[in-house]
Amino acid sequence: MAAKQNGNKGKHMALKRRTAILAALAAAATVLILLWKPTVINNGLQQAGLYAAIAIPMGLVLGIVHIVNLAHGEFMMVAAYATYFACKALGMDPLFAVLPAAAVTALLGWVVFRLTIQRALKAPELNQLILTFGIAIALTQVVNILFTSQTYKIPLEYVSASIDIGENTFPVWSYVFVATAILYAVGLRLFLTRTTAGKAAVAVGQNPRGAAIVGIDVNRSYGLVFALALALVGAMGALFLTKSAIFPQVGSPYTMKSFCLVAMAGIGNIPGILGASVLLGLSEQLLRAFRETRAWADIVFFVLIIAVILGRSVSWRRKK
Amino acid sequence: MKKLLSSLAALALVSGAAFAQSTIKIGGIWTLADITGKQGSAAAQLAVEEINAAGGINGKKLELIVADDEGKADKAAAAVEKLATVDKVEAFIGGMASGAEVGKIPAYAKYGKVVVATGAASSAIVEKALGPSPGSDYYFHLHPWDYNQGASYAEGWDAIQKKYPRIQIKKIFLAYEEGAFGKSSWDATKALFGADKRYTIDGAPFKSALLGGGDYTAVLEAAKAFKPDLFLWAGYDADALPMLEQAKALKFSPGIYLGAPPGWPIGFGSSKLARNVSLYGMWSPAMNDTNAASKKFYDAYVKKYREEPATYFALLSYDAVRILADGIKAAGSTEPAALIKALEATKYASPLGETITFKSSNIIKHQGITRQKILQWQNGIQEVIWPFEVATAEPVYPFPAWK
Amino acid sequence: MNRNIARAVAAVVAAVAVALPAFAGAYPLQVARNVMMYMALAITWDMLLRSGQISFGIAGLFGLGAYAAILGVVRGGMPVWLSIPFAAVVAAAAAFLLGFLILRLRAMYFSIVTLALAEMFRIVIHNLHDFTGGPEGIVMPAGVIFGGNAAALYWLTLAGLAVALAASWWFEKSRIRFALTAIGNNEISASSSGVNIFRWLLVAFTVTSGIQGLLGGIYVQSYGFATPDGVFSADFTLLPLAMALLGGMHGTVGPVLGAVLLGLVSEWLKLKIPYGHLIVYGIIIIIVILFMPAGILGLARKMSRGAEGGKS
Repeated sequence: MAAKQNGNKGKHMALKRRTAILAALAAAATVLILLWKPTVINNGLQQAGLYAAIAIPMGLVLGIVHIVNLAHGEFMMVAAYATYFACKALGMDPLFAVLPAAAVTALLGWVVFRLTIQRALKAPELNQLILTFGIAIALTQVVNILFTSQTYKIPLEYVSASIDIGENTFPVWSYVFVATAILYAVGLRLFLTRTTAGKAAVAVGQNPRGAAIVGIDVNRSYGLVFALALALVGAMGALFLTKSAIFPQVGSPYTMKSFCLVAMAGIGNIPGILGASVLLGLSEQLLRAFRETRAWADIVFFVLIIAVILGRSVSWRRKK
Repeated sequence: MKKLLSSLAALALVSGAAFAQSTIKIGGIWTLADITGKQGSAAAQLAVEEINAAGGINGKKLELIVADDEGKADKAAAAVEKLATVDKVEAFIGGMASGAEVGKIPAYAKYGKVVVATGAASSAIVEKALGPSPGSDYYFHLHPWDYNQGASYAEGWDAIQKKYPRIQIKKIFLAYEEGAFGKSSWDATKALFGADKRYTIDGAPFKSALLGGGDYTAVLEAAKAFKPDLFLWAGYDADALPMLEQAKALKFSPGIYLGAPPGWPIGFGSSKLARNVSLYGMWSPAMNDTNAASKKFYDAYVKKYREEPATYFALLSYDAVRILADGIKAAGSTEPAALIKALEATKYASPLGETITFKSSNIIKHQGITRQKILQWQNGIQEVIWPFEVATAEPVYPFPAWK
Repeated sequence: MNRNIARAVAAVVAAVAVALPAFAGAYPLQVARNVMMYMALAITWDMLLRSGQISFGIAGLFGLGAYAAILGVVRGGMPVWLSIPFAAVVAAAAAFLLGFLILRLRAMYFSIVTLALAEMFRIVIHNLHDFTGGPEGIVMPAGVIFGGNAAALYWLTLAGLAVALAASWWFEKSRIRFALTAIGNNEISASSSGVNIFRWLLVAFTVTSGIQGLLGGIYVQSYGFATPDGVFSADFTLLPLAMALLGGMHGTVGPVLGAVLLGLVSEWLKLKIPYGHLIVYGIIIIIVILFMPAGILGLARKMSRGAEGGKS
């Protein structure tokens, strides 16, 4: 018994030591990169912010409603189009449209949820996957018919903001995505742990049948979470329009990226999405900074995802 | 009553048969969900209506039947088979994406009917799959191949430097999207500008926003460090404004800032960032002032569809119908051998501002246009800078530094 | 009795399928080729699904096979006919080796890893410009197999489909079926009852991947070229999934029905609504999922049960 405890203690110490070594290595790497290619960290963090802010709402839906929403990026695309035309009509800046876009997209999400997804919740998970695939096609093609495949963009002065330090120029606008991602992560944590609706949602997510027995309206909780996630996606749609041009297919790559990030973090682990995004954003930018590795920046995303998932599965098996 | 009805029916039958005999059917295949295909098919339909209003071809009406290739090889092959065997068209026009065009080639070759192609610039796959004459003689390729484009840019910049000595180009940087379009631009640029060491060339790939990219800081930093006289990016319209905004953030202002997307975003010209951005293309509405054919096409198109032709692909499709119709008229039939012979004698004054004839290219025998144009955004309008014979404005140089 | 009818129907369908070039035109033959290609992919995907493993990597193995076939001929000097089985061998070998790494993963994690592997195949082929032709793609110098003969190309795709059908039938009839359904239903009890889970999964993954590679080889030789965006297109993953689901999963007949339904609907819609047919396509997928959650087969079973219930 005592020996076993000692063994556990030893393991615990080893784990601690390993974490410390990893942290030190990461810090050393960061310092080295900062000195060597200072812009990599700046660009990588901003890219990570964009990834995370789009992926977090998908993580929320997957964690609680347990569906992979293949129309995730398409909802952001619709929000961005709505923002564009509202801004054009009213001569408004997209930043003022963040909250209205969130509200409109949440409403759209709630309607879509009630009309379609809710009816498929009891079916096998693949049904929901293909259902949202159908929704994604329909949304993309409706926008394509209405506005053609030409791209739209509102040119903005402030997105070219930058800071000069020494010889280097650091663009800074995309830190707005970093702020958004952190806000989303913290806000969701507070919502899920401090509010009644949030606690109910967590309970539903963990055990829908049990939650129903204690009197929680399961479908209402799911609908609420889905609408909340879409509100976050909608706000990102308005923000996305500041940086990017929009066209019917603009959202679909982000669906896949978000899905990968959520899986890398592990289902239900929202802060983990932040970590995964930083890892990916930095490694991508690092590869892009050098001539020899430039073309391979895309592959690092997938290599890391496989490595993290396999690594985790091995450590789970060891624990067992 | 019964008699009347039956005679009416008989009349309808007869006139139907007569109608079938008096029409010449051509099949048009584009990617209809894409703006180039949507407007290309619309412009082709406009040409058909104009020809019919002017009495048709040798007393016969022209009919255009449109099919969608969805940008996919297998769907494109099905579209050719449908038009050839169900609608029994006499000739084909259309085409945009090279990856879909190669899917059509086996079926085209099987029927041997004349094809006037409006897109598909990749020589590495399309021209190679077509193969040499006489096997590919049915294929009349209007759009320049990628190497034609590269050669015409080298020619254009040489001419511009000669005419305007204040414009000096020594170093060229190419930012190219990492797909087929960008890669072939990079290969052509290296081969044609880098050939006799007059220019120093560097380049870097980026991921186009069209494919989920949209962050250009890495490639712009590389470009800025190279200090090019001419900065060229080969990407898509989704990249146009964000790349300018990011170039501004990095305070990167080369002597010439040049873009080569197939189209530009809506309202690009009205943006302050667009000022004096140069571009490659084939046509601009500014040519309406100097070219009567261009004005005639533009006015008719805007009147019929209440929108501007967004890219030159609309004009290429219009031209394809016109060239085909002239050929059928001259040949007196749609029989391939006679029609090919007639088309070889084509001398067509295009609204694109040049006379189209068919010459041999690297592999095939019937290549139409080989030159692109160099244009520049000035006061919200694309002005033609080169070739000088169709120029609408003088170049503004250098590209203004960011404030 | 019932089984005999089913056999008779299958025999008639097979006879019609083989004899189709005798009475169908070039257009129906081309559409049939497109439908059969996706049908075969849907069947192979469903075969692995019977163990509960959801693969998102179909396009990856399809594309790998496609490039193996074309590079085998262009770079390796292989005869064209040999390049098609070669594609199957390459894809199967890749799946066999990768299987040791990834077949211990379950549920969404397996799906994501297969998706990521497919993307990695695409990027590697995209980036090895000198060997693979890079992003622009690569062309068969000799052109399409069989000189582009429509009937021969049709039979070639039919042969690919026949391989998928035969494998699926074998999976349903042999010991592997019990192993896979046991894993799919309850892994712990399956392993305690002596089923070697990993070995059977490896067999299923290798066989289905090999067939997907074979189909890639057939596809590439039928069109005479390959581009990374073309043969690794997400369509080759998502459409077979949707077809299997709409027809009815966990069997051979469901994916077949689903592929016929979606394939013909998409072609028919295109003729009726040239601009905007894809909207209707998306809406049809939504409606079928909502009103036939178990696919066409599920609905048919429900209706026949309802009819029997009415009688008694």
